[in-house]
Amino acid sequence: MSRGWRIARHTAVMLAANRPRTFLMMLGLAAGVAVLSTVMIVAAGTRRRVNELVNKHGLDMVMVRAGGDVQVFAPTADRGVEALFDADARAIAGEIPNVRMVSPVQNQRGISAVFEDRSHTTRAFGVAPPWIEIRRWGVAEGEFISDADMEGMARVALLGAAVARRLFPEGGAVGRTIRLNGDPYTVKGVFIEMGVDAGGDDWDDRVIVPLTTSARRLFGRPHLEQIVMLVSDPGRVPETAARIRELLRVRHQIGAGDPDDFFVREPADVEGTALETSSALTSLLFGVSAVALVAGGLVIMNLMLVAVAQRAPEIALRRAIGARVSDIKRQFLLEALLVALAGALAGALAGAAAALLLTTMGLAEGVLTWVSFAVAILSCGVIGLLAGIYPARKAAAVEPAVALGERRLA
Amino acid sequence: MIETERLAKSYRKNNILIHVLTDITFEVSRGEFIAIMGPSGSGKSTLLHLLGFLDRPDAGTYRFEGKDLSSADDNALAAVRNSRIGFVFQQFHLLDRISALDNVMLPLLYLEADDPEGEARAARALQAVGLADRGSHFPAELSGGEQQRVAIARALINDPVLILADEPTGNLDDKSGADVLERLGRFRDSGRTIVLVTHDRKVAERADRILVLDSGRIT
Repeated sequence: MSRGWRIARHTAVMLAANRPRTFLMMLGLAAGVAVLSTVMIVAAGTRRRVNELVNKHGLDMVMVRAGGDVQVFAPTADRGVEALFDADARAIAGEIPNVRMVSPVQNQRGISAVFEDRSHTTRAFGVAPPWIEIRRWGVAEGEFISDADMEGMARVALLGAAVARRLFPEGGAVGRTIRLNGDPYTVKGVFIEMGVDAGGDDWDDRVIVPLTTSARRLFGRPHLEQIVMLVSDPGRVPETAARIRELLRVRHQIGAGDPDDFFVREPADVEGTALETSSALTSLLFGVSAVALVAGGLVIMNLMLVAVAQRAPEIALRRAIGARVSDIKRQFLLEALLVALAGALAGALAGAAAALLLTTMGLAEGVLTWVSFAVAILSCGVIGLLAGIYPARKAAAVEPAVALGERRLA
Repeated sequence: MIETERLAKSYRKNNILIHVLTDITFEVSRGEFIAIMGPSGSGKSTLLHLLGFLDRPDAGTYRFEGKDLSSADDNALAAVRNSRIGFVFQQFHLLDRISALDNVMLPLLYLEADDPEGEARAARALQAVGLADRGSHFPAELSGGEQQRVAIARALINDPVLILADEPTGNLDDKSGADVLERLGRFRDSGRTIVLVTHDRKVAERADRILVLDSGRIT
């Protein structure tokens, strides 16, 4: 063992031997870390719950429909309101900051799909590649529309599960050629089963083609029925929706007082409000625990300063038996660091226990993460070193010749 | 072993310069046992601190083992204190949270290299002061005389050439004091040099030679 390690180990042993003093020193920091860890664990749990809600209910999806408010009550968008265009979708993607993914959507009912002697009349959609993620759907077989398909106006189609069953009862749809309104399309994929949504639409009874293909070939028209998008922060949906409305009103040159020729549909924001509230509370508790950590550091520093004064004879004795000034400085710095780390560990464990208790009591939903431990250890390490610098200097400045006359050792 | 020439030390207290030591010139040979005697405040302890490199003189020269260490840095002086000099204090200055044996082993902590024989040597040192069976006791469980003997064992652990004792019997009853002095005297017999500071003439008379200090000067 090197000289430095020997002294470091001795320092740890002496701290352990002085348990009451060590305990008092770490108490403040441990309390701060306990609060911090609890907050982090509960915040992680809340975040996970919110993410589940967002995914389950599509709380991060905003939809713009062509036509005014009345569309909500008569969502038969096939009436041909010529209000939304691909350029609007590009403008939204480019100018609204919270929007992370956009797809223009065209759709039309009464499209005939034929394979050999089987036929089925269904609803066709023209969409862009991000659409499948925005609508949280998935492909069971084959692949979704690609950027190359978009660019090449490819005659490819994906089939809803019901359409696939109807045309290909034996399976094996992918790669076959079907006819949509008489033109040949290669089946690129089949969707996973989705069922009927809350609005009564059967998702499995659909055919999806690239937007460029639908606009130029299948429907032969440029206007859209919808633009769908995902936002990065579901908590800011109302604000984002307002900006989209503003943007589209300007683009569509709608005068003040005139009604919109589109409708922005936001997800139900009940849970969003809950999320905002809990995140405000989380920030507050983070602030509280940060203050507690600083206070804990100050407690360590002050108790160390008192200890240096009390332990002046011990410091002098150590110098007399061969300690260098730098040994003394390191010893006190290390004491502060070790006390802070012990506080961090105790606090992190107490915080985890508290979060677990809150979870079992049903008051919160904690998720144990190594992040909370890492943050506790790191921040306390820094705090410990900072808190130790001044006392360590004081300790190093003790004059052995003066201090040896003093009475007792700690 | 020790040669001083016109050593001087002064302190400034409340803006008044106090000359603690003035013109201290004396020599101590290897193996000698000398006592520095004088009333309290005469500068005895300050002189001992200068001899033990715990303090630096303002003027004059001090040669230890023939070398002038006035320009040596803190690390070099710490090494000299660690392995060439053993200190014994009136207050014992034992760490009360660790055992007698651990107290004796404390100077090993500051050795440059690990000493695998350290614990055995500490045990022998305790044996040499008659406390072989007290190693696991804490200082509070020992009498004053025993505590001072632990401190002596600590001073001896690194086999120093010089022992500096500052009123080693000051906190002891006569019987324990006599015992401690007797043991110190024995170390002189093994070739070590001993400098003992005391205000007590009976104690000083144990030494080969007495140096009397009064108001910071040798008389």
